[in-house]
Amino acid sequence: MSDSHDPRTGEPVPEMCTDPKSAENAPRPPARQALMTISKATYLKEAALKNLFLVCACVAVAGVALIFLFVGLEGWPIFAKVGVFNFLGGLKWYPTKQFFGILTLIVNSMLAMIGALAIGGPLAVGTAVFLSEVATPRMREIVRPAVELLAGIPSVVYGFFGLVMLRPIVAHLFGGLGFGLFTVWMILAVMIVPTIATLTEDALRSVPDGIREASYAMGATKWQTIWRVLLPAAKIGIIDAIILGMGRAIGETMAVVMVAGNARVIPDGIFKPFLTLTTVIVLDMPYAAGDHRTALFGVAIVLFIISMIFVAAIRVISRFGKGMS
Amino acid sequence: MRLRRNAALVAVAITLVLAGCGGSASGSRTSLTVTGSTTVMPIAEVAATEFEAANPGKRILVSGIGSSAGIEAVTKGTCDIGTSSRDLKPEEQSLGLVDIKIALDAIAVIVNPSNPVTGLTKAQVSDIFQGKIKNWKEVGGPDLEIGLVNRDEASGTREAFSKFVLGTADFDPTAAVLPGTGQVRAVVAQAAGAVGYISLGFVDPSVKALSIDGIPANETMVGNGTYPLSRYLHFLTKGQPTGLAKAYIDFVLSPKIQDSVVRDAGFLPVAEGGK
Repeated sequence: MSDSHDPRTGEPVPEMCTDPKSAENAPRPPARQALMTISKATYLKEAALKNLFLVCACVAVAGVALIFLFVGLEGWPIFAKVGVFNFLGGLKWYPTKQFFGILTLIVNSMLAMIGALAIGGPLAVGTAVFLSEVATPRMREIVRPAVELLAGIPSVVYGFFGLVMLRPIVAHLFGGLGFGLFTVWMILAVMIVPTIATLTEDALRSVPDGIREASYAMGATKWQTIWRVLLPAAKIGIIDAIILGMGRAIGETMAVVMVAGNARVIPDGIFKPFLTLTTVIVLDMPYAAGDHRTALFGVAIVLFIISMIFVAAIRVISRFGKGMS
Repeated sequence: MRLRRNAALVAVAITLVLAGCGGSASGSRTSLTVTGSTTVMPIAEVAATEFEAANPGKRILVSGIGSSAGIEAVTKGTCDIGTSSRDLKPEEQSLGLVDIKIALDAIAVIVNPSNPVTGLTKAQVSDIFQGKIKNWKEVGGPDLEIGLVNRDEASGTREAFSKFVLGTADFDPTAAVLPGTGQVRAVVAQAAGAVGYISLGFVDPSVKALSIDGIPANETMVGNGTYPLSRYLHFLTKGQPTGLAKAYIDFVLSPKIQDSVVRDAGFLPVAEGGK
């Protein structure tokens, strides 16, 4: 940003009207005076736009703050009532019988996420390597829109596809009802591909060409260059991409609720129904009342915290990466 | 679904009760209050809308607060018609209520058409849904794992099924929980070892309804009262209905409502004049 300069003055553009008051009243340094050759109307417009963007940013921050406040206020009584340990560590989630333990749901969410990542992660990184290093421009023009389209498909469509198409096939091949971790992994793996692939491709592209050329000049093959040079060079960006993919997988709701089968137990196999942190909210919301409703907000708090951990992890890793280079 | 919509209507019901909606049942009344079972609501509500359309100026106010509350309300005279999805208990017999059966709610236990099992006893169904029986070979079928399909806790069908079959026992928690009759039917239709339950009115050829205790699940057996997993839905009035109440009850019992509204809601019509 800061290296975009006004062509007339050589002064960084953002400096132009950072503080309207001082710009009008205070004695101006010579460079600023030169800027005031712009008309009053233009100046006002610029100032108005600046504030407009500020408002936009504030809305986003206020949105997060309000949601956190609301969810927190609605949900905290359950922690007070059943105890943090009982809520987070209890294996029984039968709210209508006064059992409010969400450990089963946490474990199930993690199982769903880990499996989806194990399948979708390599798929996505492979796609990114293909797009960035292997594909001809023509192939890239076909594959990239396809990957981007995957990101644009509403999650309920993934779920519907899973329920109607994938689940009967799984039921036919492996027995059972077709609900379970396996089916959820398949759906989630495809859903996280665009998130991870797009960001990984960006990371690979930001590796300077000089590094590629140096590798080839040393006699490395394409595979050696990708595996030994490019992927390590882009590793911080790829880890960020994977964490974002994890966030997507753990937060996914509509697609999961349709193929998970929603049994309130830790499944004893990958073809057995299970319930997650997100799907319990969808499923129980219609009839939850009293403590049950509060407990669902408690689940929302847990999801919020998980997502905050992911965001924090990305920031820490990015900072760590910058420190290295 | 039913519960969600009805929860909002509880407030209305309470208001009505407070307002003392009962009183004289003279023929010149223009409004009628019907309250009680949430299971009966879909029928009572749609019938009310059609009744109002056919009788301009008349108002039928329908709300769902539960069967017991409905029986209490009509006994105390705080509403004109109480609705119930259960029979009157012995101690309620002497309250001077007139019991009018308006529809039949029957639940079919369904399996995949490829499953050779054609019938189960009620005890077997209970054991299956408690997770005690896990393989079809234990009930005379093939060596195939049973895939249990349950409904969500908001379901009136689940509540009724639990009452009919399980009594005080709990459902197997490892069963799949699906939020709709259509989903249960679709899943059972596509998985060989699956078993689920839906209202008899929603059974179609994609699934097979099992006979219970040797009695086939069909309208005849439900109609003559032999099919075990069925119950009547009731309208209750304090004394013989008159005026607007009688007109509305006759309307609900008319073939027009019985054959369309009652069936659309997944219930079965009662035989003509099922009093």
